[in-house]
Amino acid sequence: MANTNSTRYTFLFAVIVCVVSGVLLSAVSEGLRKQRELNEELEVKRNILKAVALKEPIPPKMKGEDILHVYESKIEELVIDAQGYVVEGRTPGQLTAKDGNLYPLYIYKEDGLVMAYAFPVFGQGLWSVLYGYLAVEADATTIRGITFYKHGETPGLGGEIEKEWFQNNFKGKKIYSLQEHRATPIIVVRGKAANFFKGEALEHHVDGITAATLTGNGVTGLLDRWIRVYDVYLSRLRKI
Amino acid sequence: MAEALLSNKNKKILKDGVWDTNPITYQVLGICSALAVTTQLKTALVMSFGLTFVTAMSNVVISLIRNYIPSQIRIIVQLTVVSALVITIDQLLRAYMFDVSKQLSVFVGLIITNCIVMGRLEAFAMGNPPWKSFLDGLGNGLGYSAVLVIIGIIREIFGSGTLLGYHVIPASFYANGYVNNGMMVLAPGAFFLLGVIVWVQRAISGYSES
Repeated sequence: MANTNSTRYTFLFAVIVCVVSGVLLSAVSEGLRKQRELNEELEVKRNILKAVALKEPIPPKMKGEDILHVYESKIEELVIDAQGYVVEGRTPGQLTAKDGNLYPLYIYKEDGLVMAYAFPVFGQGLWSVLYGYLAVEADATTIRGITFYKHGETPGLGGEIEKEWFQNNFKGKKIYSLQEHRATPIIVVRGKAANFFKGEALEHHVDGITAATLTGNGVTGLLDRWIRVYDVYLSRLRKI
Repeated sequence: MAEALLSNKNKKILKDGVWDTNPITYQVLGICSALAVTTQLKTALVMSFGLTFVTAMSNVVISLIRNYIPSQIRIIVQLTVVSALVITIDQLLRAYMFDVSKQLSVFVGLIITNCIVMGRLEAFAMGNPPWKSFLDGLGNGLGYSAVLVIIGIIREIFGSGTLLGYHVIPASFYANGYVNNGMMVLAPGAFFLLGVIVWVQRAISGYSES
């Protein structure tokens, strides 16, 4: 065997290792891309359906195609602009990074009746970007549901944002203050919200996660941002 | 003559990793992840499975090419093999077992940087044939898993009152003033438990630091 400590051999070996693992990883990534994207699309739709809290929730084991079918029959996709007006002829699926001032909006209808409006929310948590959907009732004020489906927070700490108990906290909270007549962010507090707030204020605060205050602050921040963006559209729907 | 696949010597390699030279209690490796992922049993199990698989497989790969690796860049080569392996598995899971991948993806970074993987590559796979290296990786993975599972069970029961997400502490306890132990959810809780486990394991196995 050649001298494995010579500079030439070392370089050669390094190049071979890089090329082999590079080719292997690219091949795996490229070969599985279609399947991966399909999964991601399904995951997004599943989460929109979860956020709007369907009258008949989809069972956990439901097949992918059935979920798409439910999605198509219940959800109407729209695109709105920064002034809150519907942009005709565009769908959320076509939006690219260039459409910075266009926002996707999903409307859940049951027998032609609007049940909920849902929109994507995302922003920095502690370690990662959190992705989710927020849905409000037809009154455009009360939160119907929220999901976080993608994040890189510490499991058991910040990672708790993907759990039912945390997401259920948001149900029934208000994104609009009747006293101040303006959109209000939902604030994730340290500890139990009910210990600090009463009456109307409690409608804008939710319980935090123990040992994950910074992830909670991230959630507060991203909700604030996206509630403001969509409030332009939602405010026209309110009958007050 | 070829040695039997599970000769006494080979069994000892497997057993050493699990008990006598347990990566956590004896070698004191992989402590960081043992603290990070053990707030719940489920994440501890997922991490255990991932690490056992990666340690065993990367041991085999490195052992196969051990005589060709230039010693000056061996650590980088080991790291490349481990990363390539972990990313390939992650991609496969993302495509075919999406639900599992959502659980596992967070741990990928932790597995790549886990000292146990590198430690076994350096200490064993660089100098031993593939089958023995596989057993060594498997044994160490299982030894690590055993400790993680024990800590995970204790932390989840006392920290959250659940096990694998199911409530195990009756509601009547809470009604009578029982509260979950908040420290169990935090890293210090794991530190104390880990200390006790190391102590108990070393007392039984008779190991003492000289």
